[in-house]
Amino acid sequence: MNTFSSIKELLSTLYREQKLLSEMFEKRKTLSYKYDFALEMVDHEDRIQSLINHSVIRPNGPYLEIDDQFLQFFEMVLEVNEEINISYINENIQNVKDNILYYLQENNENRKYSYLRTVKAAFRKIGLITIRNVVDLKRNVENTFKNEPNYKIKKAKLENLDRKRIDINSLIDQTERLISEEEQTFFKSALDEELKQIIIHTRLQLNECRHNLIEIQKQIIEYLNQIKYQSGIIEKIRQIKYLKDQFEIRSKTNLIEVLAKNNAAILEPNPSYPLKLSLDYLQTDDVAYESIKKVSKRVKMGVRLDLPIAENISNEYLETQIEEEIQVNLEEVKNGFVASGKHLFEFVMGYDFAKEIPFDERVTIYCQLASQYEAVFNVTEKFNAQREFEFALVYPR
Amino acid sequence: MQIPRQTVEIFETLSKGQFICSNSSFDLTRRLYEVIDEYFDDLHEYFQGINFILERGDEYFCFSRAESKVDLERKIETAFKWIDILDFLKTFDNSFGSGFRFTPSDILVKLNIDAELKTKLDGLKKHGGGKEKYDEIIEKVLDLLAKDNFIEIENEISNTYKVIASFNYLEKLVMAINIPEEVKNEIPE
Repeated sequence: MNTFSSIKELLSTLYREQKLLSEMFEKRKTLSYKYDFALEMVDHEDRIQSLINHSVIRPNGPYLEIDDQFLQFFEMVLEVNEEINISYINENIQNVKDNILYYLQENNENRKYSYLRTVKAAFRKIGLITIRNVVDLKRNVENTFKNEPNYKIKKAKLENLDRKRIDINSLIDQTERLISEEEQTFFKSALDEELKQIIIHTRLQLNECRHNLIEIQKQIIEYLNQIKYQSGIIEKIRQIKYLKDQFEIRSKTNLIEVLAKNNAAILEPNPSYPLKLSLDYLQTDDVAYESIKKVSKRVKMGVRLDLPIAENISNEYLETQIEEEIQVNLEEVKNGFVASGKHLFEFVMGYDFAKEIPFDERVTIYCQLASQYEAVFNVTEKFNAQREFEFALVYPR
Repeated sequence: MQIPRQTVEIFETLSKGQFICSNSSFDLTRRLYEVIDEYFDDLHEYFQGINFILERGDEYFCFSRAESKVDLERKIETAFKWIDILDFLKTFDNSFGSGFRFTPSDILVKLNIDAELKTKLDGLKKHGGGKEKYDEIIEKVLDLLAKDNFIEIENEISNTYKVIASFNYLEKLVMAINIPEEVKNEIPE
């Protein structure tokens, strides 16, 4: 692994790969920046390899990620860090303590001055880092509450952030104690105007942080309560739904009691108030008059004209009348003829019909029989005559 | 006693079993909320004269009565309906509550990836007025909620609904039901 030999080399490398690095930085949350994507961004594979060699980026399976060291540096400088790291403050407090000790023990003015300078720088940093941490904390609390979909994780995260808050608070207290109680000798002896200013400034910053932290604490408590309430409701609904589906809800809970006590209007059917109209109003008001006209018009339109009704059908038409008519049954006549042994004309003339049949009609019956039963009769070639009729002699076959 | 001039509107709304919520999307309702908030004591006394109790809930107002006007069975039926719907909606989104915005298509999309939600929607068919299609059942259920004034249609074009503060009433009702500890232990996780 290579290391950068100078700041110049580091900066120029970063500058050369700015496109790739800024792209990767933007996508750091998704953690899935593929090696192939990176290849598209740079001209040559060697350049990625060189970044890997200098451990600016790191391969992770098929993916690439920015090395933690650089990532933290970028996040810190750009003030977008997600993680609240309180170890920096802790470190600085320790640093201040050490340097104060050196300062008090050192006799050389020059060296003393350099320790004093370190102390000043450390104080400046403490103020700055604390404020930044508080801002990060606030943002993180809100982000977590609004964006984390899983209730259990959300709760755990918020509790974790609350612990961070307590830590920051205790560090502020430590710094305060350091300034106002523990190192009195130093602050009295190092009569430096700038130091005094820095201390006052730091204290102001810390004070501001403390106020912010109180607000954050309130916020976290409220959020936690909301989560507890929400998940409580979800849990409760699930249980109640279960009991309801098991048909046990009436016997096992106080549902009946609760509902008996609850007389909210929403549980009632929609009321209607059928009121009679005021007669005075109907007689005097113009709007009412208009309405009456409208209704009256509608009522008129609905009138149906009576259709003229026809007279009753007289009973005479409905009475049944019987009319008898005697029909000649040709079949029976034929049967009689077959049994008789006479020729057809003679038989028909002599047949005793149920009614009186004149000669003309008897001739018609003769013709009907002869044509209808031609198949069973024997029509001969002999002819007889009676009156003015000449007829063929027909015998049964 | 000083009665605001909006009392008629307040009565008309509340006596129908509706709510007046602080986060309604309608200006008029919001203004009514402010009016009630300002004249609460006077109005409370005034409505008591006609046998209605003006109740202040969590960001909403509603009416109740001193004694019941409906039989218990009807109340239980209504409560059962709400429990079914509430269970469905909370399964759809854990944070479903006052201020939540959604569209019916959000629910439809979730149906495809959540089998539990689908089962629960099947269970809601009995409130769906004989509808068979999922989108129609959802529409029907949302209609029910909108009619009872728990949600409002906020944007007709995108068909976005907003849950209003009266939803707290439902949650409060459910929370008021007490399940004895030994019964709780019988319920599976």
